[in-house]
Amino acid sequence: MKPMETLNREIAGLFAAKEARRRKLAKLPFPEKVRAVVRLQRMVAPVLRARGRQVRVWTIEESAPPGE
Amino acid sequence: MEKTLQVLNDLVRAGVVSRYAIGGAMGAMFYIEPVLTFDLDVFVVLPQTHGGLLTLEPLYEALRARGYREEDECVNIEGVPVQFLPAYNALLEEALAEAREMRYEATPTCVLRPEHLLAIALQTGRDKDRERVRLLREQARLDQKYLKGVLSRHRLDDK
Repeated sequence: MKPMETLNREIAGLFAAKEARRRKLAKLPFPEKVRAVVRLQRMVAPVLRARGRQVRVWTIEESAPPGE
Repeated sequence: MEKTLQVLNDLVRAGVVSRYAIGGAMGAMFYIEPVLTFDLDVFVVLPQTHGGLLTLEPLYEALRARGYREEDECVNIEGVPVQFLPAYNALLEEALAEAREMRYEATPTCVLRPEHLLAIALQTGRDKDRERVRLLREQARLDQKYLKGVLSRHRLDDK
């Protein structure tokens, strides 16, 4: 078993990486964020519908990001 | 979503609304990480009617004439449920007047400043608004002096 101090360091590192990823996401171009929102909607909609909440996933045509 | 914004711009050109700006989660997303939302909040300044009454009905009528239908509290415009909210208090009037011109791909649009989005979230005060305040404070580039002015003018500096 790892000593507590090592574990704490590892967990602090994981949280720091998570924060860095969120800051990176915040800097994405807005159309890229909209694509992410639609992906989130598609993921979450079945769960919400199962709970009885009516939600509508956006049906928008978006140009693909560069490289796709 | 670009087509949705083009419709909104067309409503301004036609004089149906005097001005609009994106707010809510999508507005915040111009400055923060993507967050889950199912509608597009659009704040509008409506032209005054003869009786001085502010009503969304002419806006809904103009959208119906363009083939867009109401779905609950939203209007589905090109696949995006748009919720229109008139500027109903001094903070929103100021936020709309000082909204930023931005572009979504090739289409110009108007978005509330992050300082106003933060102030509106403080004023509204639901759990999701408090989370938005936190994200804006952490991730948006806020003009602290400007923010202080907004919060003080609208008596939100103790929140």
